[in-house]
Amino acid sequence: MHKRSKLEKIESRWFYLFISPWLLGFFIFSLGPMLASVWYSLTDWNMFNQANFVGLSNYIKLLTDDPRFIKSLGNTCFYAFLTVPLSLILSLFLTFLLTRSVKGMKFFRTVYYLPVLVPLTAVSFVFFWIFNTQIGIVNKFLGVFGIEPLSWLYDEHLIKWVIVFMGLWQVGSSLLLTLAAVQGVPRELYESASLDGAGNVRQFINITIPLVSPVLFFNLITSIISSLQVFTQSYVLTDGVYKPNNAALMMSNYLYQKGFADFEMGYACALGWIIFVIVIFFSAIVFRSSALFVFYEGEVKKSEKKHKNHK
Amino acid sequence: MKKSIKITNKILTYFLLILIGIIFIAPFLFMFSMSLASDATNVKGTFTLFPHEFNWGNYIKVFTGSENLGLYIKNSVILTVWCVIGQVFASSFVAYGFARLRGRGKEIWFMLLLATLMIPQDVYLIPQFMLFKNLRWLDTYLPMIIPNFCGGAFNIFLMRQFFMTIPTSLDEAAKLDGLGYFGIYRRIILPLMKPVLIAVGLFTFQFNWGWFNGPLVFIQDKDKYPLAVALKFIQSSQGNAVPNWHLVMVGAMFLTIPPLITYFFGQKYILQANINMGSAGIK
Repeated sequence: MHKRSKLEKIESRWFYLFISPWLLGFFIFSLGPMLASVWYSLTDWNMFNQANFVGLSNYIKLLTDDPRFIKSLGNTCFYAFLTVPLSLILSLFLTFLLTRSVKGMKFFRTVYYLPVLVPLTAVSFVFFWIFNTQIGIVNKFLGVFGIEPLSWLYDEHLIKWVIVFMGLWQVGSSLLLTLAAVQGVPRELYESASLDGAGNVRQFINITIPLVSPVLFFNLITSIISSLQVFTQSYVLTDGVYKPNNAALMMSNYLYQKGFADFEMGYACALGWIIFVIVIFFSAIVFRSSALFVFYEGEVKKSEKKHKNHK
Repeated sequence: MKKSIKITNKILTYFLLILIGIIFIAPFLFMFSMSLASDATNVKGTFTLFPHEFNWGNYIKVFTGSENLGLYIKNSVILTVWCVIGQVFASSFVAYGFARLRGRGKEIWFMLLLATLMIPQDVYLIPQFMLFKNLRWLDTYLPMIIPNFCGGAFNIFLMRQFFMTIPTSLDEAAKLDGLGYFGIYRRIILPLMKPVLIAVGLFTFQFNWGWFNGPLVFIQDKDKYPLAVALKFIQSSQGNAVPNWHLVMVGAMFLTIPPLITYFFGQKYILQANINMGSAGIK
């Protein structure tokens, strides 16, 4: 007995040795800075002055007296609320098409995945020209239908859509995950469903989607978190000025501006915490509601067991 | 009757797949076409989707001219190689601990590890900047490289899932042969993990090769910019003159091609990692 617990102690020490790189990183690069950020956010620190405690005034100013922040919040939500559901729908639609036992599935899968690999700087450069008013291919295409050239990049409503389209172009990462999950769905399920006369679309909705819903949930969470932190596209597309009328200014861009251009470090830290709360808030909503639409294999096994017991 | 519906469906499916495929490929074509444009086309801004001129000299000009892409590509290579080395070793090391060893408080640490996936970088960016400033790490690659040597939460999770599929009987046998925990990690686990090590290496490469906001914040000396940041600098720093968009697009090609190559060579491993992730989500 005694000997065993000694072995356990040794094993425990080895466990901590193995996870020590992550522990060190967590404390030094994440938790430490987070705690420091709490303190800074309560001060008027601007890198040159001594930090003075100002209570919650940074937070109050951000939420009640900073139109630029409210604007960036609206822009970010516009982006996230369009990109997240649209890429979910698009990836499901592409999954449906790709699982129609077509030839060249691997080829198309690669084609749809390639955009994910393009660094955002390059994506932004190319989309800058694709949506160019005079020579952009989008306006040329619309011109075929007699639509006058649109000023995509200089219209405060349209530029938001350009950034959404960039997000949709990179739908491939969630597509790849969904496809991988679909391949794990047992074929017998489809066979028995088609004997029951269910068509392709019905089968997809009633069998495929519920069975891959854990992966859809995973995609949903990761894309919410990343889309609320969108930064590079706006920065590159507008040379960091977010014209017109701050239409492309996202929360992360504003934090960068406040921290590294205006040097209002305390204020920027408060902004960081507001972003944190928003990210956690929306993730929590999805987590809480996941029971409604996420379907776990374990549940079937449990209910099957129950069924058997009844018999 | 039914057969003809089937055929129409098939045609419709291919039509949609190809149409969407064309939309997805068009930006690549445009990038390529712009990279081959002449100076005159650049000044007039009359780029076309399909290349109509082939100034391959652009691909040499960016190395000999003021763009000096060679320097930035070199910077990016140095930066990403260190990131990959650090991430692959550290994550596998930590993942071994989480997958195989029992320790006090392990469940709590693991939950914490997963929770960190949800923390936005914005919340600690400013103090992190100050930390790196005090460490005199600004204008070096250490702020980007060193955190990789601590492992990434997502990669640790991915590798842990992979470890779970390796039977523990191997560990037991190795223990009887007198191997310690480190020996098991080094001799038994690492060799079996090659597929997931490669996948994590590729993900790390792809992320850091294109990472923009990290280097933007931590590096001010423009000679030290990695390619992704340098290109933005090149594009926006030509005063009132028309930016050399065609040369910028050559840079964008150099930024895009390495991740594409890694995908084609490592496709098998990336797909396998996705399948593991998928099943991790289900279980």
